[in-house]
Amino acid sequence: MKNIIEVKNLTKKYKNTKAIDDLSFNVKEGEILGLLGPNGSGKSTTINCILSLLNFDSGIIEIFGKKMNTNAYDIKEKIGVVFQEVAVFNELTVYENIDYFCGLYIKDKIKRKEYIEDAIKLVGLEDFKKYYPKQLSGGLLRRLNIACGIAHKPKLIFLDEPTVAVDPQSRNNILDGIKKLASEGATIVYTTHYMEEVEILCNRVIILDRGKIIASGTNEELKLLTKIEEKVIVEINDLDEKYINDIKKQNNVDSVSYNDNNLVIYFKKGKNNIVSLIEYLKKENIIYNKIYSMVPTLNDVFLELTGKELRD
Amino acid sequence: MFLHNFKYSFLTLFRNKMLIFWTFAFPIILATFFMMAFSNIEKKEQLDIIDIAIVENEEFTNNKILNEAFKVLGDKNSKEQLFNIKYTKLEDAKKLLTDGEISGYLLVKKESTEVIVSTSGVNQTILKQVTDEIIQNQKIMEKIVENETVNGIYNIDYNKIYENAIKTINEAEVRLENVSNKNLSYTMIEFYSLIAMACLYGGILGLSSINEVQANMSNNGKRVQVSPVSKSKIILGSTLASYIAQLIGLAILFIYTVFVLKIDYGSNLLLIILLSLVGSLAGLSIGILVGSGFKTNENAKTGIILSYTMFCCFLSGMMGITMKYIIDKNIPIINKLNPASMIVDGFYSLYYYDTLDRYFFNVISLVIFACILILISIYSLRRQKYDSI
Amino acid sequence: MTVFNTFLKILNKNKFIIIMYTVILITFAGFNMKTSDNRLSFVSSKPDVLVINNDENIGLTKDLIEYINKNTNIIDIEDKKDNINDALFYREVNYIIYIPKNYRKDFLNGLNPKLKIKTTGDYQASLAEIILSRYIKLANIYLNINNNEDEIIKNINETLKSKTNISVTSKLDTNNLSKATYYYNFANYSILAGCVYVICLILSSFREEKIRKRTVISSTNMRKYNRCLMLSNSLLAIFLWLFYVLLSFIIVGNIMFSIHGLLYIINSFIFTICALSLAFLIGNIITNKNAINGIVNVVSLGSSFLCGAFVPIEYIPNSVLLIAHIFPSYWYIQNNEIIKTLEVVNIDTLKVIFINISVIIGFMMLFTIISNIISKRKTKTK
Repeated sequence: MKNIIEVKNLTKKYKNTKAIDDLSFNVKEGEILGLLGPNGSGKSTTINCILSLLNFDSGIIEIFGKKMNTNAYDIKEKIGVVFQEVAVFNELTVYENIDYFCGLYIKDKIKRKEYIEDAIKLVGLEDFKKYYPKQLSGGLLRRLNIACGIAHKPKLIFLDEPTVAVDPQSRNNILDGIKKLASEGATIVYTTHYMEEVEILCNRVIILDRGKIIASGTNEELKLLTKIEEKVIVEINDLDEKYINDIKKQNNVDSVSYNDNNLVIYFKKGKNNIVSLIEYLKKENIIYNKIYSMVPTLNDVFLELTGKELRD
Repeated sequence: MFLHNFKYSFLTLFRNKMLIFWTFAFPIILATFFMMAFSNIEKKEQLDIIDIAIVENEEFTNNKILNEAFKVLGDKNSKEQLFNIKYTKLEDAKKLLTDGEISGYLLVKKESTEVIVSTSGVNQTILKQVTDEIIQNQKIMEKIVENETVNGIYNIDYNKIYENAIKTINEAEVRLENVSNKNLSYTMIEFYSLIAMACLYGGILGLSSINEVQANMSNNGKRVQVSPVSKSKIILGSTLASYIAQLIGLAILFIYTVFVLKIDYGSNLLLIILLSLVGSLAGLSIGILVGSGFKTNENAKTGIILSYTMFCCFLSGMMGITMKYIIDKNIPIINKLNPASMIVDGFYSLYYYDTLDRYFFNVISLVIFACILILISIYSLRRQKYDSI
Repeated sequence: MTVFNTFLKILNKNKFIIIMYTVILITFAGFNMKTSDNRLSFVSSKPDVLVINNDENIGLTKDLIEYINKNTNIIDIEDKKDNINDALFYREVNYIIYIPKNYRKDFLNGLNPKLKIKTTGDYQASLAEIILSRYIKLANIYLNINNNEDEIIKNINETLKSKTNISVTSKLDTNNLSKATYYYNFANYSILAGCVYVICLILSSFREEKIRKRTVISSTNMRKYNRCLMLSNSLLAIFLWLFYVLLSFIIVGNIMFSIHGLLYIINSFIFTICALSLAFLIGNIITNKNAINGIVNVVSLGSSFLCGAFVPIEYIPNSVLLIAHIFPSYWYIQNNEIIKTLEVVNIDTLKVIFINISVIIGFMMLFTIISNIISKRKTKTK
């Protein structure tokens, strides 16, 4: 599969701090790439650099095999962008907004009309065509924001946190829409700090922190990166320090934490760790309410790689 | 593409109630207020017929000259009527004066003639001056009689001398030629400054449309910037849309002031249109500069333009025409840099002067002003990539 | 107390607006009030005249100029480009007299040469023309009797000496009263624009939908809350009023210490309270800050223009004044004008003033009732 985007050694400084630090990656045709990272990790900056909105200090950016710059209209034509902030005209209706932004790409009026209808259907705004943005709820506004960015059926779509502060119904609608766009052949770059979305949506994930890639790969590949394979959570009231230290010494245990009456134990390998744990608890006569086992999430990966949570 | 952007810029401007209020409705409302308040000023400032009273006593009845003179000056059928005279008793005259119904009254005494007024003022001064004149005419009579006697005519026919004297006085012709310029209505300045205000307020339209297409100013701008359309094309379309919106607003204001309020802008329609075009251009250039040069939110930018415009209009005489005159006279450079003043002065020279050099000086100043501002703006508008957004 | 503190914080953010309208008041009040002595004897009005003499400055011409000098304010304007015409248009001079070359010679030869003049056509100009004509008339008459120049000049001046006795009855300090009236009339605008605008802005901050909902559901007693808000705003209005009154003592001076001054102050106080109720009404109806800006501008400018705050009330057409009756400003300004000409202060003369004040209070009650009705409806339905 050929590369749609190639980023090589991208660096962007704001005064003395490096927002992006020697970043290199590529995006392959037809994939949904997730750019995952906490707020301020450089996701939006990266996208803005790729789009030639921001000056950067060094690096090469190629899209569709050509060097990207502000006047590369043939490249821009095939790109759709959905920005983090809602970018629509308050004075224009839903339909007019989409028509305006779509019109910047598609000159043929009949074709445009068809495309706009498709976009409206995709985000489910059929009943709101004549509404003004002020009359829309937050979730519907986000959907309009997306429709404005993708109505011209671009081959490459950037979605910068399109689901921030969106109700579950709208979020599902948006995620379904993105899947549909991908199934129609678009390549998608999706930034977010919701790991759940990445896990549902993306073929490949790049985890960013402080402008650097700290890991990349498919969901499964990333999870293999961690030493831990299982995470067991036990609800125990007032557990003595002694027991915690005991558990730490057990086989396979990587680390243990005890917060809010929740004992979390990370195991390095194996699947039957929970059995031995239950045996231990029984032996020591420790009363517990609930016990369950989980496969690690991307958040755990991130936590392990950076020592902090994704969501701050 | 150009048309597409133009159409939507236009639509966006016209649907923004705030913009339309300040650029379209507010000048019209203000013009109406001006008309209501100022329409009578100049008429009232002309000399009105002055209400006076004369105490009808023996002394007055016997004084032929005073009698005759006031009869003429109080004649309702005469064009020369200066006074509206009530002949009354002393007590009535006093009451009329305290009630403010007359400016003053005349009381003829044996040795002197007295004018009694309640306060000092122009009407009172005129009453005094006129009475002075009549008394002085008495003096002249004496002089003439004296003169005739000195000339050694012994056969004195006092009646004839008297008649001659009156004839001499009446025939003394004062030859004045009025060479004033025709159009002297100074309240026009108020309306001209209103037009100037409308022109400069129009800058808000330019500001708003330019804000929407710059990636570092608005989110919509980012979207426009990543689209495959050249920035200059977009900016040109938006700017043109706002300029035309501005001109439509101005045209409505002109139509309203000319046909409803009957304002006189002089007779040269083409030159009026030219001045409006460059005036609006100056307003537009301010809008573009503020839109591209300042990085704050749109409300703050609108605030900058509103207060700048009000200040310029204040200096160009909107809140009292004396202001413009004082500045023109003492610190002319300020008004040479003030676009509102250039517009006002342009209209003023069209209205008041027959020659056009002053008018064209103002037009050219406005064009230069606009060009400088636009050139400065282009510097920041040309950037397509930013260090930060 | 919380309400009051928040109030002060919002006020602090809007202080610029108050400062701006105060500066406007001072500028215009100071600008339009030329200082002049307070004299109770008669002072002739002197029109502003410009004489441009192209003749030799001797003999009759010299005497004419001296005469004009004595009876008018001679304005000196450099004869450059459009200076003179501008001066006439902007009323720096009311009357311009051009004395042609050889005027004196031609006159003495009995040619009665023409004088060119330019006039603004107002009563000042008419007065100037009366003054000028008199001299020329006299000169003509004496020329007919005797054409010796010295003799003519002597005769003219002798004649001009005889004058009417003039006496002034009013004991009012008209000059300073006019000043005070001007100041308080203009304050109409500052109070309406500044005070009402700021109060509306503050109210709209408190009344913003989300904040309003939050306060309605909070444990605060709504009545107490509203009363506190009302009190804070009243304090602001009264503070501003006090400030403007103090300012008037500085700008207008001594006359403010008289019974007339007291009347101006009382009148403006009632009006300020009325403006406060108007602010509450507008603040209750509209919460959009941009719309408030527009409405306050239209209301304050409209009532100031129509009721005679900017333009002397006698210049305003009667039809406009008829419309003006619907504004409280009209009654307030009427009162100022009455106070200006108030000769004797007694129950009888004060009656009119009291009637006008009651009308203003009537407006105040009307505004309060309407805003209460609207405010109640809003709390319930939304």
